[in-house]
Amino acid sequence: MDQQPELSADVPRAWDRPVFSVPILAFLSLIGGQLPSFSTAANLYTIGLGGALAWLGLSHRIPRRAVPRGISASASWWLLPALVFGVFEAATFLLGSRDEFPTFSKLADPLLEGATARSTAYFAWLWAFWGLVRR
Amino acid sequence: MRVVAITGFLTALVLFAVLEWAARRENSRIPTLGDVCAYVMRYEVGPVPVGRIAVIGFWWWVGWHFFAR
Repeated sequence: MDQQPELSADVPRAWDRPVFSVPILAFLSLIGGQLPSFSTAANLYTIGLGGALAWLGLSHRIPRRAVPRGISASASWWLLPALVFGVFEAATFLLGSRDEFPTFSKLADPLLEGATARSTAYFAWLWAFWGLVRR
Repeated sequence: MRVVAITGFLTALVLFAVLEWAARRENSRIPTLGDVCAYVMRYEVGPVPVGRIAVIGFWWWVGWHFFAR
């Protein structure tokens, strides 16, 4: 009798599906969005949550997705936005990040003051972090 | 000068979005940003996953920088 070849399809575990991960990340983001900058609570929460995700990402406790064996030369297109961003960030930082020529984070600060925008940005950060952990 | 800075950062963000859109088209030769990150994260020096530590550490710092300070 012929043996069936082993299947190696990526079948996400139940807790790894968006129906589970999105509400959990949203709940964590809602909490993070309430914590003001420079507060001890915000520092502890962000460092703790990031630390837990970093630990998951560096350990082998979570199954990872298939990694591309190589990438084409077209990947160098990604250098373009990275360079544009890097040039402006470096220039604004070296010139002192004044109101007339602010760094990206100085521009983002007023946008992140509201709880809704802050929670939304927190969700984007956690969602991307969760994606990196499983890569 | 403030307008120059805002225009520069917005240009970079729009370029990121356009490239991600282009990468997700069928038969695109451009890898997605996630694939580029995954490729960088493969880099190891001996048993040390240098690429993984760098990418995850960078993203951890980004969150702390924007949400805690």
